[in-house]
Amino acid sequence: MAIELLLALVIGGIATIAALLHLSGRSERRRMMVDDVEAEWLRHFPDDIVIDHTLSRDGHAALVRTEAGPGLLWAFGADTVAQRLRDYDLTDHKRGYRVDFHDFATPHVILHLDEFERRHWRNLLERP
Amino acid sequence: MTDQITYPDVVQFAVPFFIAAILIEFLWIAMTKRGGRYETRDAVTSLIMGAGNVASGIVLGFVAWGFFMALWAITPLDMGTSIWAVLLCFVLDDLRYYWVHRFGHRIRWVWASHVNHHSSQHYNLTTALRQTWTGTFTFMMVVRAPLILMGFHPALVLFCGGLNLIYQFWIHTEAIGRMPRWFEAVMNTPSHHRAHHGRNARYLDCNYAGVFIIWDRMFGTFVPEQESDRVDYGLVHNLGSFNPLRVAFHEWVGIWRDVTQPGLTLRQRLGYAFAPPGYSHDGSRLTSEQIKAAHLARHPEDAGTPGFEERTGSPAPVVAE
Repeated sequence: MAIELLLALVIGGIATIAALLHLSGRSERRRMMVDDVEAEWLRHFPDDIVIDHTLSRDGHAALVRTEAGPGLLWAFGADTVAQRLRDYDLTDHKRGYRVDFHDFATPHVILHLDEFERRHWRNLLERP
Repeated sequence: MTDQITYPDVVQFAVPFFIAAILIEFLWIAMTKRGGRYETRDAVTSLIMGAGNVASGIVLGFVAWGFFMALWAITPLDMGTSIWAVLLCFVLDDLRYYWVHRFGHRIRWVWASHVNHHSSQHYNLTTALRQTWTGTFTFMMVVRAPLILMGFHPALVLFCGGLNLIYQFWIHTEAIGRMPRWFEAVMNTPSHHRAHHGRNARYLDCNYAGVFIIWDRMFGTFVPEQESDRVDYGLVHNLGSFNPLRVAFHEWVGIWRDVTQPGLTLRQRLGYAFAPPGYSHDGSRLTSEQIKAAHLARHPEDAGTPGFEERTGSPAPVVAE
Protein backbone atom coordinates (compact mmCIF):
# COMPACT_ATOMS: atom_id res chain seq x y z
CA MET A 1 0.00 0.00 0.00
CA ALA A 2 1.32 3.44 -0.91
CA ILE A 3 2.51 5.34 2.15
CA GLU A 4 0.41 8.38 1.16
CA LEU A 5 -2.76 6.28 1.07
CA LEU A 6 -1.88 4.60 4.38
CA LEU A 7 -1.31 7.99 6.02
CA ALA A 8 -4.59 9.36 4.68
CA LEU A 9 -6.47 6.30 5.94
CA VAL A 10 -4.89 6.45 9.40
CA ILE A 11 -5.29 10.19 9.91
CA GLY A 12 -8.78 10.26 8.41
CA GLY A 13 -9.83 7.20 10.40
CA ILE A 14 -8.61 8.56 13.71
CA ALA A 15 -10.21 11.97 13.08
CA THR A 16 -13.55 10.41 12.07
CA ILE A 17 -13.70 8.11 15.08
CA ALA A 18 -12.64 10.90 17.48
CA ALA A 19 -15.28 13.28 16.11
CA LEU A 20 -17.99 10.63 16.27
CA LEU A 21 -17.17 9.73 19.87
CA HIS A 22 -16.95 13.34 21.02
CA LEU A 23 -20.17 14.41 19.32
CA SER A 24 -22.01 11.45 20.84
CA GLY A 25 -21.02 12.49 24.38
CA ARG A 26 -18.19 10.01 24.96
CA SER A 27 -15.80 12.71 26.21
CA GLU A 28 -17.60 13.35 29.49
CA ARG A 29 -15.58 12.67 32.62
CA ARG A 30 -16.80 10.25 35.23
CA ARG A 31 -18.90 11.93 37.90
CA MET A 32 -18.78 9.99 41.14
CA MET A 33 -21.46 9.83 43.81
CA VAL A 34 -20.56 9.54 47.50
CA ASP A 35 -21.48 5.87 47.48
CA ASP A 36 -19.08 5.18 44.59
CA VAL A 37 -15.92 6.41 46.25
CA GLU A 38 -15.07 3.53 48.58
CA ALA A 39 -15.81 0.89 45.94
CA GLU A 40 -13.70 2.75 43.38
CA TRP A 41 -10.81 3.09 45.83
CA LEU A 42 -10.95 -0.60 46.68
CA ARG A 43 -10.94 -1.41 42.96
CA HIS A 44 -7.50 0.18 42.82
CA PHE A 45 -6.25 -0.88 46.27
CA PRO A 46 -8.22 -3.99 47.26
CA ASP A 47 -6.18 -4.63 50.43
CA ASP A 48 -6.96 -1.21 51.92
CA ILE A 49 -9.34 -0.35 54.71
CA VAL A 50 -11.06 2.97 54.00
CA ILE A 51 -11.60 5.19 57.03
CA ASP A 52 -13.47 8.06 55.38
CA HIS A 53 -13.52 10.14 52.23
CA THR A 54 -14.38 13.59 50.92
CA LEU A 55 -15.89 13.97 47.46
CA SER A 56 -15.43 17.21 45.55
CA ARG A 57 -18.61 19.09 44.65
CA ASP A 58 -18.13 18.43 40.95
CA GLY A 59 -17.88 14.68 41.66
CA HIS A 60 -14.61 14.37 39.76
CA ALA A 61 -12.22 13.80 42.68
CA ALA A 62 -12.16 12.48 46.21
CA LEU A 63 -9.71 12.55 49.08
CA VAL A 64 -9.65 9.14 50.68
CA ARG A 65 -8.27 8.37 54.12
CA THR A 66 -7.20 4.75 54.57
CA GLU A 67 -5.33 2.80 57.23
CA ALA A 68 -2.39 2.82 54.79
CA GLY A 69 -2.46 6.61 54.55
CA PRO A 70 -4.27 9.26 52.51
CA GLY A 71 -4.93 8.99 48.80
CA LEU A 72 -6.49 10.78 45.91
CA LEU A 73 -9.11 9.27 43.60
CA TRP A 74 -10.13 11.13 40.47
CA ALA A 75 -12.03 10.81 37.25
CA PHE A 76 -9.94 9.64 34.32
CA GLY A 77 -12.11 9.83 31.27
CA ALA A 78 -15.08 7.57 31.94
CA ASP A 79 -13.12 5.71 34.62
CA THR A 80 -11.04 6.55 37.67
CA VAL A 81 -7.45 6.34 38.81
CA ALA A 82 -6.05 6.52 42.32
CA GLN A 83 -2.76 7.43 43.91
CA ARG A 84 -1.51 7.33 47.46
CA LEU A 85 -0.50 10.78 48.67
CA ARG A 86 3.09 10.13 49.69
CA ASP A 87 5.50 11.76 47.27
CA TYR A 88 3.67 14.71 45.78
CA ASP A 89 3.58 18.50 45.45
CA LEU A 90 0.44 20.57 45.92
CA THR A 91 0.33 23.96 44.21
CA ASP A 92 -2.38 26.55 43.72
CA HIS A 93 -4.19 26.52 40.41
CA LYS A 94 -6.75 28.98 39.09
CA ARG A 95 -9.39 26.24 39.29
CA GLY A 96 -8.29 24.73 42.58
CA TYR A 97 -5.11 22.74 43.09
CA ARG A 98 -2.55 21.03 40.93
CA VAL A 99 -1.13 17.80 42.37
CA ASP A 100 2.19 16.56 40.96
CA PHE A 101 2.96 12.92 41.73
CA HIS A 102 6.57 12.57 40.54
CA ASP A 103 5.39 9.55 38.56
CA PHE A 104 6.04 9.32 34.81
CA ALA A 105 2.87 7.27 34.25
CA THR A 106 0.69 9.63 36.30
CA PRO A 107 2.35 13.04 36.19
CA HIS A 108 -0.30 15.34 37.66
CA VAL A 109 -3.97 16.09 38.11
CA ILE A 110 -5.86 19.40 38.32
CA LEU A 111 -8.50 19.44 41.05
CA HIS A 112 -11.46 21.73 40.39
CA LEU A 113 -12.44 23.12 43.79
CA ASP A 114 -14.37 26.20 44.85
CA GLU A 115 -13.01 28.57 47.46
CA PHE A 116 -14.57 26.75 50.42
CA GLU A 117 -13.37 23.39 49.16
CA ARG A 118 -9.84 24.70 48.64
CA ARG A 119 -9.51 25.61 52.30
CA HIS A 120 -11.21 22.44 53.45
CA TRP A 121 -9.06 20.16 51.27
CA ARG A 122 -5.91 22.01 52.32
CA ASN A 123 -6.79 21.32 55.96
CA LEU A 124 -7.50 17.69 55.19
CA LEU A 125 -4.22 17.29 53.34
CA GLU A 126 -2.22 18.90 56.12
CA ARG A 127 -3.90 16.73 58.75
CA PRO A 128 -1.30 14.47 60.37
CA MET B 1 17.70 -21.66 -1.68
CA THR B 2 14.85 -19.23 -2.38
CA ASP B 3 15.67 -15.63 -1.50
CA GLN B 4 13.15 -13.68 -3.55
CA ILE B 5 9.81 -14.41 -1.90
CA THR B 6 7.33 -11.66 -1.18
CA TYR B 7 4.02 -11.64 0.63
CA PRO B 8 1.65 -8.69 1.04
CA ASP B 9 1.88 -6.63 4.24
CA VAL B 10 -1.49 -7.85 5.42
CA VAL B 11 -1.63 -5.59 8.46
CA GLN B 12 -1.40 -2.47 6.31
CA PHE B 13 -4.07 -3.82 3.95
CA ALA B 14 -6.30 -4.50 6.94
CA VAL B 15 -6.32 -0.85 8.09
CA PRO B 16 -9.57 0.05 6.21
CA PHE B 17 -11.20 -3.06 7.70
CA PHE B 18 -10.06 -2.06 11.20
CA ILE B 19 -11.58 1.41 10.82
CA ALA B 20 -14.85 0.08 9.42
CA ALA B 21 -15.14 -2.58 12.15
CA ILE B 22 -14.55 0.01 14.89
CA LEU B 23 -17.30 2.22 13.46
CA ILE B 24 -19.68 -0.74 13.25
CA GLU B 25 -18.91 -1.83 16.84
CA PHE B 26 -19.43 1.71 18.11
CA LEU B 27 -22.74 2.09 16.27
CA TRP B 28 -23.86 -1.29 17.62
CA ILE B 29 -23.05 -0.23 21.18
CA ALA B 30 -24.71 3.18 20.70
CA MET B 31 -27.90 1.66 19.26
CA THR B 32 -28.28 -1.35 21.55
CA LYS B 33 -26.86 0.28 24.73
CA ARG B 34 -24.87 -2.88 25.43
CA GLY B 35 -21.76 -4.69 24.30
CA GLY B 36 -19.07 -2.41 25.65
CA ARG B 37 -18.01 1.17 26.23
CA TYR B 38 -16.14 3.83 24.27
CA GLU B 39 -14.40 6.94 25.61
CA THR B 40 -12.94 9.55 23.27
CA ARG B 41 -9.45 10.08 24.67
CA ASP B 42 -8.99 6.40 25.48
CA ALA B 43 -9.91 5.42 21.92
CA VAL B 44 -7.76 8.13 20.33
CA THR B 45 -4.78 7.04 22.45
CA SER B 46 -5.27 3.45 21.34
CA LEU B 47 -5.49 4.47 17.68
CA ILE B 48 -2.36 6.62 17.92
CA MET B 49 -0.55 3.69 19.56
CA GLY B 50 -1.62 1.55 16.62
CA ALA B 51 -0.38 4.09 14.08
CA GLY B 52 2.89 4.39 15.98
CA ASN B 53 3.27 0.61 15.94
CA VAL B 54 3.05 0.58 12.15
CA ALA B 55 5.48 3.50 11.97
CA SER B 56 7.99 1.81 14.29
CA GLY B 57 7.75 -1.30 12.12
CA ILE B 58 8.64 0.77 9.06
CA VAL B 59 11.53 2.50 10.85
CA LEU B 60 12.95 -0.41 12.89
CA GLY B 61 11.77 -3.41 10.88
CA PHE B 62 15.15 -3.74 9.22
CA VAL B 63 16.68 -4.95 12.51
CA ALA B 64 14.55 -8.09 12.73
CA TRP B 65 14.60 -8.55 8.95
CA GLY B 66 18.40 -8.44 8.86
CA PHE B 67 18.58 -10.98 11.69
CA PHE B 68 16.10 -13.30 9.95
CA MET B 69 17.88 -13.10 6.59
CA ALA B 70 21.20 -13.90 8.29
CA LEU B 71 19.59 -17.04 9.72
CA TRP B 72 18.06 -17.86 6.34
CA ALA B 73 21.49 -17.64 4.74
CA ILE B 74 22.93 -20.30 7.04
CA THR B 75 20.08 -22.80 7.23
CA PRO B 76 20.32 -25.73 4.82
CA LEU B 77 16.56 -26.35 5.05
CA ASP B 78 13.81 -24.97 2.81
CA MET B 79 10.18 -25.82 3.53
CA GLY B 80 9.04 -24.06 0.37
CA THR B 81 5.84 -22.08 -0.08
CA SER B 82 3.19 -24.76 -0.56
CA ILE B 83 -0.15 -24.36 1.18
CA TRP B 84 0.95 -27.04 3.67
CA ALA B 85 4.09 -25.10 4.44
CA VAL B 86 2.02 -21.95 5.00
CA LEU B 87 -0.44 -23.78 7.29
CA LEU B 88 2.34 -25.45 9.29
CA CYS B 89 4.18 -22.14 9.57
CA PHE B 90 0.99 -20.43 10.77
CA VAL B 91 0.44 -23.00 13.53
CA LEU B 92 4.07 -23.01 14.66
CA ASP B 93 4.19 -19.21 14.55
CA ASP B 94 1.13 -19.19 16.80
CA LEU B 95 3.03 -21.40 19.25
CA ARG B 96 5.87 -18.88 18.97
CA TYR B 97 3.36 -16.11 19.73
CA TYR B 98 2.13 -17.93 22.84
CA TRP B 99 5.62 -18.03 24.32
CA VAL B 100 6.57 -14.48 23.35
CA HIS B 101 3.30 -13.32 24.90
CA ARG B 102 3.95 -15.36 28.03
CA PHE B 103 7.46 -13.89 28.31
CA GLY B 104 5.80 -10.51 27.80
CA HIS B 105 3.89 -10.97 31.04
CA ARG B 106 6.58 -12.74 33.05
CA ILE B 107 9.76 -10.81 32.20
CA ARG B 108 9.67 -7.11 33.05
CA TRP B 109 11.99 -6.20 30.16
CA VAL B 110 9.45 -7.63 27.71
CA TRP B 111 6.48 -6.40 29.76
CA ALA B 112 7.84 -2.85 29.34
CA SER B 113 6.99 -3.19 25.66
CA HIS B 114 3.73 -5.11 26.03
CA VAL B 115 2.25 -3.23 29.00
CA ASN B 116 0.78 -0.48 26.82
CA HIS B 117 -1.57 -3.00 25.20
CA HIS B 118 -3.11 -3.60 28.64
CA SER B 119 -3.15 0.03 29.73
CA SER B 120 -6.72 0.86 28.71
CA GLN B 121 -9.54 0.45 31.22
CA HIS B 122 -11.80 -0.15 28.24
CA TYR B 123 -12.12 -3.22 26.06
CA ASN B 124 -13.25 -2.58 22.53
CA LEU B 125 -11.84 -2.90 19.03
CA THR B 126 -9.63 0.16 19.48
CA THR B 127 -7.91 -1.66 22.35
CA ALA B 128 -6.70 -4.25 19.83
CA LEU B 129 -4.75 -1.49 18.07
CA ARG B 130 -3.08 -0.24 21.28
CA GLN B 131 0.19 -1.86 20.27
CA THR B 132 3.81 -1.41 21.27
CA TRP B 133 6.30 0.99 19.77
CA THR B 134 9.29 -0.67 21.40
CA GLY B 135 8.99 -4.35 20.50
CA THR B 136 12.35 -4.35 18.71
CA PHE B 137 14.14 -3.54 21.98
CA THR B 138 12.84 -6.67 23.70
CA PHE B 139 14.85 -8.84 21.25
CA MET B 140 11.94 -11.29 21.17
CA MET B 141 12.67 -11.75 17.46
CA VAL B 142 15.05 -14.52 18.62
CA VAL B 143 12.00 -16.66 19.41
CA ARG B 144 11.29 -16.75 15.67
CA ALA B 145 14.79 -18.09 14.94
CA PRO B 146 13.80 -21.79 15.16
CA LEU B 147 11.11 -21.28 12.50
CA ILE B 148 13.60 -19.81 10.05
CA LEU B 149 16.26 -22.39 10.85
CA MET B 150 13.60 -25.06 10.18
CA GLY B 151 13.36 -23.71 6.64
CA PHE B 152 10.44 -21.27 6.70
CA HIS B 153 11.36 -18.18 4.70
CA PRO B 154 11.41 -14.95 6.77
CA ALA B 155 8.80 -13.39 4.46
CA LEU B 156 6.47 -16.35 5.11
CA VAL B 157 7.07 -16.16 8.87
CA LEU B 158 6.24 -12.42 8.92
CA PHE B 159 3.20 -13.03 6.72
CA CYS B 160 1.89 -15.59 9.21
CA GLY B 161 2.65 -13.18 12.07
CA GLY B 162 0.57 -10.52 10.30
CA LEU B 163 -2.35 -12.92 9.86
CA ASN B 164 -2.05 -13.81 13.55
CA LEU B 165 -2.28 -10.14 14.52
CA ILE B 166 -5.32 -9.61 12.27
CA TYR B 167 -7.07 -12.63 13.81
CA GLN B 168 -6.60 -11.11 17.25
CA PHE B 169 -8.33 -7.87 16.26
CA TRP B 170 -11.90 -9.17 16.43
CA ILE B 171 -11.51 -10.81 19.84
CA HIS B 172 -11.08 -7.40 21.54
CA THR B 173 -14.78 -6.81 22.02
CA GLU B 174 -17.53 -7.10 24.60
CA ALA B 175 -20.14 -7.10 21.84
CA ILE B 176 -19.70 -10.86 21.34
CA GLY B 177 -20.51 -13.11 24.29
CA ARG B 178 -19.56 -16.72 23.73
CA MET B 179 -18.90 -18.57 20.49
CA PRO B 180 -20.08 -22.18 19.91
CA ARG B 181 -18.51 -24.66 22.34
CA TRP B 182 -16.34 -26.40 19.76
CA PHE B 183 -14.94 -23.00 18.73
CA GLU B 184 -14.30 -21.91 22.34
CA ALA B 185 -12.48 -25.21 22.89
CA VAL B 186 -9.95 -24.73 20.10
CA MET B 187 -9.78 -21.06 19.16
CA ASN B 188 -8.99 -17.88 21.04
CA THR B 189 -12.25 -15.97 21.40
CA PRO B 190 -13.53 -12.66 22.80
CA SER B 191 -14.46 -14.45 26.03
CA HIS B 192 -10.99 -15.99 26.51
CA HIS B 193 -9.23 -12.78 25.66
CA ARG B 194 -11.43 -10.64 27.90
CA ALA B 195 -10.15 -12.77 30.76
CA HIS B 196 -6.58 -12.17 29.58
CA HIS B 197 -7.14 -8.39 29.83
CA GLY B 198 -8.52 -8.61 33.36
CA ARG B 199 -6.75 -6.94 36.29
CA ASN B 200 -8.75 -9.05 38.72
CA ALA B 201 -6.47 -11.37 40.71
CA ARG B 202 -8.17 -14.38 39.10
CA TYR B 203 -7.26 -13.36 35.58
CA LEU B 204 -3.64 -12.26 36.03
CA ASP B 205 -1.23 -14.14 33.74
CA CYS B 206 -3.71 -16.32 31.86
CA ASN B 207 -4.83 -16.98 28.28
CA TYR B 208 -1.70 -15.97 26.37
CA ALA B 209 -2.94 -17.51 23.12
CA GLY B 210 -2.96 -15.68 19.82
CA VAL B 211 -5.16 -17.81 17.57
CA PHE B 212 -5.39 -21.28 19.16
CA ILE B 213 -6.38 -21.42 22.84
CA ILE B 214 -5.10 -25.00 22.90
CA TRP B 215 -1.63 -23.73 23.87
CA ASP B 216 -3.00 -22.37 27.16
CA ARG B 217 -4.83 -25.62 27.79
CA MET B 218 -1.62 -27.56 27.07
CA PHE B 219 0.68 -25.42 29.19
CA GLY B 220 -1.69 -24.88 32.13
CA THR B 221 -2.40 -21.17 31.75
CA PHE B 222 -6.06 -21.34 30.67
CA VAL B 223 -8.65 -19.56 32.83
CA PRO B 224 -12.22 -19.34 31.51
CA GLU B 225 -14.13 -16.08 31.90
CA GLN B 226 -16.39 -16.35 34.94
CA GLU B 227 -19.92 -14.99 35.09
CA SER B 228 -19.39 -14.52 38.84
CA ASP B 229 -16.21 -12.44 38.45
CA ARG B 230 -16.77 -9.73 35.87
CA VAL B 231 -13.57 -8.72 34.14
CA ASP B 232 -12.14 -5.38 35.29
CA TYR B 233 -9.92 -4.18 32.43
CA GLY B 234 -6.60 -2.41 32.73
CA LEU B 235 -3.46 -2.63 34.80
CA VAL B 236 -3.02 -3.55 38.45
CA HIS B 237 -1.90 0.09 38.84
CA ASN B 238 -3.73 2.01 36.15
CA LEU B 239 -2.08 4.88 34.30
CA GLY B 240 -3.17 8.45 34.96
CA SER B 241 -2.30 9.79 31.51
CA PHE B 242 -3.67 9.49 27.99
CA ASN B 243 -0.41 10.84 26.54
CA PRO B 244 0.80 8.21 24.01
CA LEU B 245 4.45 8.95 24.84
CA ARG B 246 3.83 8.18 28.50
CA VAL B 247 1.81 5.08 27.57
CA ALA B 248 4.60 3.84 25.28
CA PHE B 249 7.56 4.48 27.54
CA HIS B 250 6.39 4.55 31.17
CA GLU B 251 7.55 1.06 32.08
CA TRP B 252 10.98 1.61 30.46
CA VAL B 253 11.31 4.76 32.59
CA GLY B 254 10.25 2.72 35.61
CA ILE B 255 12.91 0.10 34.91
CA TRP B 256 15.56 2.79 34.54
CA ARG B 257 14.60 4.45 37.84
CA ASP B 258 14.51 1.12 39.68
CA VAL B 259 17.75 -0.25 38.26
CA THR B 260 19.71 2.93 38.91
CA GLN B 261 18.57 3.57 42.48
CA PRO B 262 21.51 3.58 44.89
CA GLY B 263 22.42 0.82 47.28
CA LEU B 264 21.29 -2.24 45.34
CA THR B 265 23.23 -5.41 44.65
CA LEU B 266 23.79 -6.48 41.04
CA ARG B 267 21.28 -9.30 41.54
CA GLN B 268 18.64 -6.81 42.68
CA ARG B 269 19.30 -4.52 39.72
CA LEU B 270 18.93 -7.47 37.35
CA GLY B 271 15.74 -8.43 39.18
CA TYR B 272 14.21 -5.02 38.46
CA ALA B 273 14.96 -5.50 34.76
CA PHE B 274 14.25 -9.16 34.16
CA ALA B 275 12.22 -10.63 37.06
CA PRO B 276 8.43 -10.83 36.77
CA PRO B 277 6.60 -7.48 36.94
CA GLY B 278 5.98 -6.53 40.56
CA TYR B 279 9.39 -7.69 41.77
CA SER B 280 10.95 -5.43 44.38
CA HIS B 281 14.03 -5.88 46.54
CA ASP B 282 12.20 -4.67 49.66
CA GLY B 283 8.78 -6.27 49.26
CA SER B 284 7.11 -2.94 48.55
CA ARG B 285 5.36 -4.26 45.42
CA LEU B 286 3.46 -7.40 44.57
CA THR B 287 3.95 -9.93 41.79
CA SER B 288 0.91 -11.59 40.29
CA GLU B 289 1.44 -14.69 42.47
CA GLN B 290 1.47 -12.48 45.57
CA ILE B 291 -1.63 -10.60 44.40
CA LYS B 292 -3.44 -13.92 43.98
CA ALA B 293 -2.27 -15.06 47.42
CA ALA B 294 -3.45 -11.78 48.97
CA HIS B 295 -6.82 -12.21 47.25
CA LEU B 296 -7.16 -15.72 48.66
CA ALA B 297 -6.32 -14.43 52.11
CA ARG B 298 -9.34 -12.07 51.77
CA HIS B 299 -11.50 -14.56 49.89
CA PRO B 300 -10.55 -18.11 50.89
CA GLU B 301 -13.78 -19.33 49.30
CA ASP B 302 -12.18 -18.72 45.88
CA ALA B 303 -9.44 -21.31 46.47
CA GLY B 304 -9.59 -24.04 43.87
CA THR B 305 -11.73 -22.05 41.46
CA PRO B 306 -10.39 -21.12 37.99
CA GLY B 307 -7.36 -18.87 38.26
CA PHE B 308 -6.64 -19.96 41.82
CA GLU B 309 -6.08 -23.69 41.45
CA GLU B 310 -2.32 -24.03 41.84
CA ARG B 311 -1.53 -21.23 44.19
CA THR B 312 -3.85 -21.99 47.08
CA GLY B 313 -0.91 -22.96 49.31
CA SER B 314 1.02 -19.72 48.71
CA PRO B 315 1.36 -17.60 51.82
CA ALA B 316 -0.19 -14.17 51.80
CA PRO B 317 2.56 -11.59 51.39
CA VAL B 318 3.57 -9.08 53.97
CA VAL B 319 3.57 -5.79 52.11
CA ALA B 320 5.80 -2.98 53.22
CA GLU B 321 3.67 0.16 52.93
